[in-house]
Amino acid sequence: MPRDSGEGAGARWRSPASHAFGQHIGLILAAAILLVAIIIFSVMFVIQQHRLPGNFEITSTVNNTMPLALAAIGQTIVVLTRGIDLSVGGVIDLTNALAAILLRPNLGNQLAVSVIIILIGAAGGLINGLLVGLGRLQPIVVTLATLSIYQGLAIRVLPQPGGAVPPGYTGFLVNPNAPTALVFLLIAIVLWLGLRRTRLGVDIFAIGADEQAAIALGVRTVRTKIIAYTLAGALYAIAGLFLAATATAGDATTGDSYTLTSIVAIVLGGVSFFGGRGSAIGAIAGAFIITMIVNILFFAKINPLYQAFYEGLFLVIAVVLGALIGRLVRARR
Amino acid sequence: MNNLVRLFTTRDVLRVYAAYGAAILLFIIGALVHPGFASLPSVTTILLISSFIGMVAAGQCFVVLIGGIDLSVPWVLNAAAILLATASLGQNGRALYAILLTLGMGGLAGLANGIFVVWFEVPAVVMTLAMNGIVEGLTLGLSSGMTCGACASYAPPIVQQAVHGVFLGIPTALWLWLVIIIIVSFALSFTRFGRATYAIGNNPRAAFLAGVNVNLTTVALYVLSGVFSALAGILLVGFGGQASLGMGDPYLFQSIAAVVIGGVSILGGSGLYVGAAAGAISLTALVSVLLALNMPEYGRSIIYGLVILALLLLYGREERQ
Amino acid sequence: MSERAAAAATGVAAVAARTLNKTFGGVQALRAASFAAHAGEVHALVGENGAGKSTLIKILGGRFPPDSGTILLDGEPVRFSGPADATRRGIGTVFQELTLLPWLTVAENLLFGREPRGAGGLIRRASLATDAEAVLARLGISHIDPRAQVAEISLSERQIVEIARVVTKKPRILFLDEPTSSLVEREVAWLFERIRELRALGTAIVFTSHRWNEITSIADRITIYRNGSEVGTFTEIEEGEAITLMTGRRVDALYPKLPLLSAGAKDMLALTEATIPGLATPIGQPASDLSFHLRAGEILGIGGLAGQGHRELFLGLFGAPPLARGKIAVGGKPLRIHRPSHAINAGLGIALVPEDRKTEGLLLPLSVRYNLTLPILRRISRVGVIRAPTEGRMSREIITALGVRTPSAAQRVGALSGGNQQKVLVGRWLLAESRILLLYDVTRGVDVATRHEIYDLIMRLAGEERAILLYSSDTEELAHLCHRVLVLRDGRVAAELVPPVLTAEAIVSASMRQARAA
Repeated sequence: MPRDSGEGAGARWRSPASHAFGQHIGLILAAAILLVAIIIFSVMFVIQQHRLPGNFEITSTVNNTMPLALAAIGQTIVVLTRGIDLSVGGVIDLTNALAAILLRPNLGNQLAVSVIIILIGAAGGLINGLLVGLGRLQPIVVTLATLSIYQGLAIRVLPQPGGAVPPGYTGFLVNPNAPTALVFLLIAIVLWLGLRRTRLGVDIFAIGADEQAAIALGVRTVRTKIIAYTLAGALYAIAGLFLAATATAGDATTGDSYTLTSIVAIVLGGVSFFGGRGSAIGAIAGAFIITMIVNILFFAKINPLYQAFYEGLFLVIAVVLGALIGRLVRARR
Repeated sequence: MNNLVRLFTTRDVLRVYAAYGAAILLFIIGALVHPGFASLPSVTTILLISSFIGMVAAGQCFVVLIGGIDLSVPWVLNAAAILLATASLGQNGRALYAILLTLGMGGLAGLANGIFVVWFEVPAVVMTLAMNGIVEGLTLGLSSGMTCGACASYAPPIVQQAVHGVFLGIPTALWLWLVIIIIVSFALSFTRFGRATYAIGNNPRAAFLAGVNVNLTTVALYVLSGVFSALAGILLVGFGGQASLGMGDPYLFQSIAAVVIGGVSILGGSGLYVGAAAGAISLTALVSVLLALNMPEYGRSIIYGLVILALLLLYGREERQ
Repeated sequence: MSERAAAAATGVAAVAARTLNKTFGGVQALRAASFAAHAGEVHALVGENGAGKSTLIKILGGRFPPDSGTILLDGEPVRFSGPADATRRGIGTVFQELTLLPWLTVAENLLFGREPRGAGGLIRRASLATDAEAVLARLGISHIDPRAQVAEISLSERQIVEIARVVTKKPRILFLDEPTSSLVEREVAWLFERIRELRALGTAIVFTSHRWNEITSIADRITIYRNGSEVGTFTEIEEGEAITLMTGRRVDALYPKLPLLSAGAKDMLALTEATIPGLATPIGQPASDLSFHLRAGEILGIGGLAGQGHRELFLGLFGAPPLARGKIAVGGKPLRIHRPSHAINAGLGIALVPEDRKTEGLLLPLSVRYNLTLPILRRISRVGVIRAPTEGRMSREIITALGVRTPSAAQRVGALSGGNQQKVLVGRWLLAESRILLLYDVTRGVDVATRHEIYDLIMRLAGEERAILLYSSDTEELAHLCHRVLVLRDGRVAAELVPPVLTAEAIVSASMRQARAA
């Protein structure tokens, strides 16, 4: 067919780079915000400490962000299917508590316990997935209910904060001397890029883009949703392990805040709340943005009591700005 | 006559019966496991506690009816409790000023929620979540983490009286709740505002094309949700005497649970506030029964979740036809 | 043609349906429906809107199962577990509602389910675009960028991508449900070229279309559907005869007589130099050129191909969203209409009966009464409280006046038949005392009997000196129901047709003429 047929035909042929820019605008924006946050932080740091942020600052930032980054990846997978998972906090509570009471200083135990805990997290996610997928229930209320259940189980497991995480385990996951935990993030990113290249990955995006169309295309939506929630549960469990390792002890309520922060992180990371658009890389960037905001507030000598205020404010600004810039980029074409 | 029968047997109404049935059943179970559970003072206390949940649920019900959600409940409520105490300094003379200020604060938070949801198209979950953080940060910061001089103030006696006082043998807070139930139900069923709410909840585009002012109604509903959260905060501080940090935390889960138990569709468009009120009572009765059974906190938390799931499986599925 | 058809008719049908029944929410879409198509033939499936064509195609495409009846592939009864199952058995379907995923690229959509794989069975995303480009090029498509997101491309481009996706799977049986609805002539020619190639390869091709010239130019056989069942299958049939079979009555008897338009009728709605929002204007032409007058008692038709700005015009006059530029005068008074409530409460009252009554018109789970009085609540309430007796009386009156078949005003609108739903929607605006009615494709998906009632209603409304702006996807309907028809092309008036030149053919030919070269 000749190119001059139809209205404006041919005009949309653009360079691959231009397409990539338009289609990853959320991710690019997240990276830009993170970069700006890092620069602001560094400048403040240099002014006050008369040196650049060093190994210690980087290590503690990375280690503190690990649980949130992992939880946010899980949340991303669920939100991509146009769902939402409020049970994040409960799963982290439960897995964190289990880690604190089950982990022992020998390697065999640590390996076995880690695997068991990840499976328990996956089971929690599986229950969500079954209720949402097979039960055809609304994700927001299902996961609100399971949040309560998992929180209850966590308190049953560990009624008082306590337990102990062996130092070796902590050293392996969140080495306090060097940002080696970045390796785990790198693995997560590689696995994510792999997932994007599998049937499952494509199907997750398809469901979020248009569930009815996905069904017509032969996507097994129920199965895909169940797997998505299960994967997310496993990721929350890993987040729980990292949290236990960072705190070196367990607490059945420390995970609660992750329900909200994981949502904040993915929104900052450019994941669309309406499904079908977003990436785990953005979610990781979003998690780091939150940590950087906390760091900046600290160095700006802002009363830490105001932290939630600024997080909320930045969240609104980021969402509104993101939408505006997205609209501008589209309108420019 | 036939129409009248139909009116009292619609799906929405049947769910309301179910919610009240559940509440009554729980009272019976309570009486069986714990003599005196169904005594008048005990029932009154349970209803009084239900009324706080019920008021938050009124606001939650409004926004859920249009397919929205208000996650800013916990800190709007908490901020309201603290603001009432600090603004009134426990003096009756300042009570009216403090109450208006507090309700205004709740309305303002709701207004911001509504404006950003409507005009900036921020998803309701994200916006109200952010608002919860904003109010939390401001509350903690301005009260210096509840260490400020005025923070230890008690609620004005008149406010405490309003909760604990008794009129015709029933606590005044319950009278207030009854009035709210009547007003909210009337507004939803017999006013233009109520029609607009159901219309938007069913299909915002069709409602808009029928001349409904979708934006204004949506904003109004979020404002109301904020005001109801603030009202619950005022009554809670009147009930307990003093404000404390974290006192709003349980109310997010409970308000949503009450709305769901009461048969309001989480997708919007159907449900009645009398149902949500019944949901609040069932929820409180359930907690009381579990307490009477000496059930520890974790057990209550688990049973809470299971009950919601059971109800969702019972009601939630037919919503998609 | 007849030779091929004769050969086809003797063998075992590649795909066949026997006594299929399907009911949706009380409406029987298919009743004992039968159908058969053979390898190597192009089989047109024609019938009115709502005759059951799309339902048949969805069932044969595995989208949903029939309530009862049998599907046969090469004479063997089969039962599809889903669309994927049908695809595996060699069936390709282009559904009327496109199944492209908006946030995926053209390439990802085109190759969905058969992406190029590399090491470890992982999808090679890097070569998706080049593979897709090659696939498109083989089909002779060079104007669609495989790297673009589907959300970015035009409706006709989407339709082509959808067709390309299905066609390149080399199905044995290909269903095309209204594949040409948003294509221009040249693109239709492209599609027919592809169809001929597939026919030569022995594919059974079944397609639906509302354009008779398309049907005669490519179909080997024609099956006519009416009211959910097959009326007959033909190798040769005249258009008039086909329409008679489709509608069950003679064409000229179907349309009522237009009320006479008095010469001195006053202007009720005037639009001057309007610009339709969101419509690409061909380069070198002024942006605004849409002007017309609508008089009391007049039925003014708006015609033209899909995507030429009709929908935007109707919504724009109703403020949803407003027109980009231009002046609107109602009853001679200039007026700004920024949202529907402005239009509804404008001097003479403007009403819109939108395209899709289920998603834009009615609130299906709510009662007939709620739906009827929604726009006039202000009028029937005092300090915000609705006067229930007034509301009840008014809704009962309108139900009686329009003959809405419902057990009571408390009945859920969703439980009514399509035609009765449409009456509720029109009745809403009669209650609102709107004098200017914008009727957008009001007979779509309405059965023949009710359609006739709606025609009579339109005439009655015009007879009451209301002004009516009418759009219909059925050109025949436009030609018969209107005093005057404006044909839109690229958001501007391409032709104004009045009797005696106001015929369906004239409308079609005015819409099809290519836009002037830029």
